[in-house]
Amino acid sequence: METNNQTLPPDYAARLTVMAEAEQANEYLFQILEIGQHMLQCGGEVSRVEDSIRRMCIAYGAERADVFSITSSIVVTIHAHRFGSLTQTRRISGQQYDLHRLELLNHLSRRLCTERLSLEDTERALDAILSAPQYSFGVQLMTYALISASFSLFFGGSVLDAAASGIIGVVLKYLDRMIRKTEANAFLSALLCSCLGGLLSGLAVRTGLGDNMDMISIGNIMLLIPGIALTNSLRDMFSGNTLAGLMRFIEALLLAMTIAFGFALVAGLM
Amino acid sequence: MRYIMELATAFLGSLGFAMLFHVRSQKLLLASLGGLLAWGIYLLMGLVTDQDVVRYFVSSVVLTVYAESLARIVKCPATLFIVTAAVPLIPGGSLYHTMEYFMRNDLAACSAQGLTTVLLAVAIAVGILFPTSIFQLVQRIGIFAKKSHK
Repeated sequence: METNNQTLPPDYAARLTVMAEAEQANEYLFQILEIGQHMLQCGGEVSRVEDSIRRMCIAYGAERADVFSITSSIVVTIHAHRFGSLTQTRRISGQQYDLHRLELLNHLSRRLCTERLSLEDTERALDAILSAPQYSFGVQLMTYALISASFSLFFGGSVLDAAASGIIGVVLKYLDRMIRKTEANAFLSALLCSCLGGLLSGLAVRTGLGDNMDMISIGNIMLLIPGIALTNSLRDMFSGNTLAGLMRFIEALLLAMTIAFGFALVAGLM
Repeated sequence: MRYIMELATAFLGSLGFAMLFHVRSQKLLLASLGGLLAWGIYLLMGLVTDQDVVRYFVSSVVLTVYAESLARIVKCPATLFIVTAAVPLIPGGSLYHTMEYFMRNDLAACSAQGLTTVLLAVAIAVGILFPTSIFQLVQRIGIFAKKSHK
């Protein structure tokens, strides 16, 4: 009886190795994208992410790597003459700025290029970075108070204004955490935060804790304004990623206006 | 006295933002010093000119040179220092007043203040981009020079 082997093409074994190679390349590409995704999420510029991904792909033997990224998506196609092209895409949602993590990821991507770590080592290193401790919630509350109070004083408020602004900053952090849990849209969350901030600063002035409503509000506005998004978008636009930069720029601009509008709206009504 | 207060709060504000973005260890201090530097340059430029746009521009050029140089010394992304040090320059007060005039129906004041806000933002943006591009150019020339030696 004829076996199935005879119907198989003569280059069967060679094809199998090619398939295995392609599969392995896919796994590596997945890890590289994982690094790229986290870089974007913790506040890296699009140009940095594209550049890092391309370098890593080339370091692992891709003959050509075409990377396109915007803030919310990454597309990578790698080419190698052994197995042709491979493409993976990633949708990115949710950002949590962590510049320390960005620094570690940047370092990891350089290590990948020079030492060509194995899959397991990469995964272990990435896990270690992602589980590294962040500042605790208590420290974050203090940070919010510190920023609000500093900028209230900075723009010419009194000490009483700074105290009121600091307390409102802490309340806003709690509100922010509650809103984050519901995964509401960024604009709604900004509007809610700024309206509550405006309302509380009005109340603070009425009850005697604080002298100038606008000085209290400005401290809180500085806290909420998406400064990192604005700076990154400008850097992106001028490094050739006009589209990615423009998208983030408009988003940040709308957000900043929403925030100022929320505060001024309440101030106008009171 | 007023200036000392502004410098101190610029430092503390940058420190706050650096902590908000989870910056760690000695970089925390370097980032906050960047904020102090940015506002210091702004105040110093006041001796030369009273054009706010020029003062903001020069200040952001200096802070970017500071950030890009530090990034090469301590080996970490320049964004980390730029984002935190530029915070005192963000025209948050101007933005608030723009919206405030808008709510009071004072459209003339609103558009004047709005224009100021936009111009300040542009001055900061160009001030940050200009040194960054030069740093990138120098780096590329360095790579070419290395390649041609081989």
